[in-house]
Amino acid sequence: MSNLITRAKDSIYQVLRGLKTVAVHSLRIPTTKEYPDTMPPLPPHFRGRLALNVNPETNEHLCISCRQCERVCPDKCIEITAHKSPETNKLELIDFKIDHGLCMFCGLCTEVCPTDCIINTNDFEMADYSREALVYDIRKLTLTQGESSHYFAAKEIALPKPKPTKPAVTVTPATSTVKPAEAKTESKPAEVKTESKPEEAKTESKPAEVKTESKPAEAKTESKPEEAKTESKPEEAKTESKPEEVKTEAKLEETDIKSTDNDIK
Amino acid sequence: MLANSAELFKFTRLTLIWLTIIFGSVWGACFVVGVLIPTLLLHLGENEIFALLAQICQYLTPVIAILVFIPINAMFMVLVERRGLALFTVRMGPNRVGPDGLLQTAADAVKLLFKEDIIPTGADAWLFTLAPIIFFAPSIFGSIPLLAAITGNNDLFAITNLPTGIFFIIAASSVPVVGIVMGGWASNNKYSLVGGLRSAAQAISYEIPLVLSLVTICYLNQSLNVVEIASRQTGGFLNWNIFGGGALNGLDKYFNALINGSSNANDILQAYYPSNQWILTVIAIAGLVVSTIIAFFMYITAACAEVNRIPFDLPEAESELVSGYNTEYSGIKFAIFFLAEFTNLFIVSSIATIMFLGAGNNPIPQFLIDYLFKNVTFIPQTINAITQALSPLINQIHLINPITFWSVVWMIVKTYSLVFFAVLVRGTLPRFKIDQLMDFGWKRLIPLSLLVFFIVIFAKGVINTNV
Amino acid sequence: MSTNLDTTNLKTDEMIINMGPQHPATHGVLRLILKLDGEIVRHVEPVIGHLHRAQEWQGQNRTLFQYQALIDRVDYLSGMFTSLAFAHACEQIDGCQIPPRAQYLRALVCEMNRISSHLLWLGTFLIDLGALFGFPFYPFREREKLLDLFEEIAGQRMMFNYIRIGGVQRDPKQSWFEKVRKFTAEFPDRINEYEAIVTQNPIVLKRTKGVGILDKSVAMDYGVTGPSIRGSGINYDLRKTRPYGIYPELNFEIPLGQNQGDTWDRYMCRILEMRQSNNLINQCLDKMPEGEILGKKQIAGLRIKAGEGFAAIESPRGVLGCYVISNGSDKAYRIRWRNPSFCNLAVLPSLLIGRPISDIMAIFGSIDVILPDVDR
Ligand code: SF4
Ligand code: SF4
Repeated sequence: MSNLITRAKDSIYQVLRGLKTVAVHSLRIPTTKEYPDTMPPLPPHFRGRLALNVNPETNEHLCISCRQCERVCPDKCIEITAHKSPETNKLELIDFKIDHGLCMFCGLCTEVCPTDCIINTNDFEMADYSREALVYDIRKLTLTQGESSHYFAAKEIALPKPKPTKPAVTVTPATSTVKPAEAKTESKPAEVKTESKPEEAKTESKPAEVKTESKPAEAKTESKPEEAKTESKPEEAKTESKPEEVKTEAKLEETDIKSTDNDIK
Repeated sequence: MLANSAELFKFTRLTLIWLTIIFGSVWGACFVVGVLIPTLLLHLGENEIFALLAQICQYLTPVIAILVFIPINAMFMVLVERRGLALFTVRMGPNRVGPDGLLQTAADAVKLLFKEDIIPTGADAWLFTLAPIIFFAPSIFGSIPLLAAITGNNDLFAITNLPTGIFFIIAASSVPVVGIVMGGWASNNKYSLVGGLRSAAQAISYEIPLVLSLVTICYLNQSLNVVEIASRQTGGFLNWNIFGGGALNGLDKYFNALINGSSNANDILQAYYPSNQWILTVIAIAGLVVSTIIAFFMYITAACAEVNRIPFDLPEAESELVSGYNTEYSGIKFAIFFLAEFTNLFIVSSIATIMFLGAGNNPIPQFLIDYLFKNVTFIPQTINAITQALSPLINQIHLINPITFWSVVWMIVKTYSLVFFAVLVRGTLPRFKIDQLMDFGWKRLIPLSLLVFFIVIFAKGVINTNV
Repeated sequence: MSTNLDTTNLKTDEMIINMGPQHPATHGVLRLILKLDGEIVRHVEPVIGHLHRAQEWQGQNRTLFQYQALIDRVDYLSGMFTSLAFAHACEQIDGCQIPPRAQYLRALVCEMNRISSHLLWLGTFLIDLGALFGFPFYPFREREKLLDLFEEIAGQRMMFNYIRIGGVQRDPKQSWFEKVRKFTAEFPDRINEYEAIVTQNPIVLKRTKGVGILDKSVAMDYGVTGPSIRGSGINYDLRKTRPYGIYPELNFEIPLGQNQGDTWDRYMCRILEMRQSNNLINQCLDKMPEGEILGKKQIAGLRIKAGEGFAAIESPRGVLGCYVISNGSDKAYRIRWRNPSFCNLAVLPSLLIGRPISDIMAIFGSIDVILPDVDR
């Protein structure tokens, strides 16, 4: 009997101790991070969405199309389209696709990249309505100059040396430095940043697209081959563009991307 | 220390807003049905039919009050539980829908109502549909007698003042288990079946200590009428049933006399606790007080088991039986189960308040208030003035009754404190095992409640013979 | 307290229940086919394989470098340990030197991982016992802090890919070490809080004391390892019995179960182990040497010499073994995992027979099985 009473007393004491511990917790500050309102502080090495760097100083694309990342990827979710430029005999990047629906964010591709071109950004909000939308092409992958320099600084990567010899056919030829910059700024909205939705980006890039009448959405779904420009294959477009038509070239690129989008479909 | 004051403040604000909403709407409904419509009807003419209609309306008031109260209150309680648990687990809880998550449970309710109502293949469709209703209905008609006690025997609710109130409530509260067993069986799901059977076993074994602890109080108060039991506890916490059911009445009077400097203080003490055989008296009173306190905690424990709260939520043990008897329920039927569960929690808390914690009476003794505010005359004066000014409203239109008002306020405070305590328990304790539950019920609670009952009988007898 | 009632005349049909794979408390996708007599379990048959991902086969079809990124998934709650076992096996074949700093970092992150794994276990164990709404949030809060720390050095919260063949991937900053120190400083208080709520709670005691007694001989027969066997009083911890890495240089003790090896003992063992690990983290931080962190260059075509090697380490769930045969190419010829959860799960039926349903979860929770580790 006395044993029973001591046990009951002990039990009650222990329960009360537990209740007290729990009750005192109500005076602590909640640990909840109110995510959409406040972004969690992510460390620089967080392995989020993949992106391609440009040289923070000269704004040239860092990828040398060595296909190391494509080869190392365990999921085979990188697809690089490059061709050998007939003039300089150098590899030239045409398109770079990463299927983020397949990627497991292991970061191996970023480790093997010789030029620190492909990196993991801190962006993780990539939800979309279709699987196709998770396949990012070069335009969506390439970072702006500012973002690149941010990541170079945050990840403490040594800044790249500018490319020693500039290939003759790239978008930044020796013709004029002003015009390509213009083209770049115009096409900037298309390089999807963390905040802007793909649809918005499409509509924003519309003004730059003088030749195509079709709405972006339509372009995605049907993109009629009436327009000679859209029809043209990427390689042709690249090769036929003359250095003096820098602007049209930039436009061309956009239509190219539309058509390649269409190809995926 | 109070690092979390922001969240605590939000929680308090939310509680106050919801309480205003609940009692505002209940009061509005009561006013319309119980006062406004009858008055209008009587003004229409001296017709007999109108008079009859007016009478029916007045009789319907308690039902309307409960029908308005239950759904809104359940929503509020779910919100309190979620926010309360969030407080205890260093989270924030639902705070997106409406300001501070005020409307979260309203949104949930709407969602549940619009969900597809699924009747699984092989289920007994009739019983499956009937089960939530049988589970829910007793909480409506079972809580009616409480209204009289909660409202301080307001005229409108006088009809609910049953002479055998507590008996009726207990009888009603044992019906829901039929609904659970029914639902568990009709679902054609083994988990549900086990849940339903567990619930039956649990309800049967815990009804006994529950009733015995209430019977103790009824015996002490010589009444089954909740209004009477409530009215016997007026005047400070020393008169509450949890402290011996009136055994400390004399102490209360003695302190009153002492504080007021009255010369007959010792006479009062003498009258209540005669000094011949004082050892016996003291022992009896101490036994009484301890017994009733034990009875209170026994009631709380058994009530937790009755309404399937942690640590006795075996019929719906998530980790074992998926969700127990309501595994197969969805949509509005699940909503009814949910509603009934929280309503039952509220009802058992209010029974505890009425039976043990002095119902709607002020816990602070009146003489203490008088003494402390002796020099502050303007407060009673203003209160008097307001009452005077409102008296035509009170007397003629029955707009608001100060007795009812204060009674309801204290009831709310006490009942929701108990509910909040249940939330705290839910945040701390794991659940029993079914055989341990049975052990605890039959081998611990029932003998203890019988013991308490006998101690109370003897102690009361000793006191009565001595006085 | 079992009744002595003669129920032979009341014999009714046995009920077959499929517990899982979508049961809320089977820690993933375990399926238990239970034969119940009333609430008493008469027969148990665990059905596994719902989470089979062919981890061994994948290892044979990926380069070593690629496979390093995949092995965290073998046991996703303790990714550091699977990486470590694989790295140890490969280093054994290759004979490459591991820099001391890398060794210490490995021990450090492994012990952190052990704590985080045990914390998750603690939360889910209490959920299994029925404390669904309050307590489990506390261990998860601390686990969150650890995962944040992992995120900073490894890049992700659970799929670390941090321990590599020949060392570790990244050298943490000084600020990171300070954060770890801050964590270890306040962690013992947190454990005290857990213990105040759980350890002596009468309901927990009732549900765990004398429940699921794992006999020493049975445990050894089935090859149970980890805290589950130490709860039964067998001192078997590879960190002591077959020390690897820098564990010989660290000062620690192996907590053992005090009673007969019931659920409560296993619980207590893990709690003490968390305190122990906290201690070990502090020691690692104190002794952390400077220097290199990688003994082998991490390139896409990472190769090791031909040969075979087996490494076993003490993971939070028990002995985790990895067997690698290499033919000198960049792919392993054969990889075989010895997973602790698989062996620990095997003992489950013998513990469950004759117990009521409610004990299933308590016992199953206490042997700490995670299903990806079972199915690989
Ligand atoms: S992160 Fe891994 S899976 Fe994703 S693209 Fe790079 S290598 Fe492939
Ligand atoms: S490894 Fe780097 S440089 Fe090479 S193709 Fe990939 S992104 Fe371009």
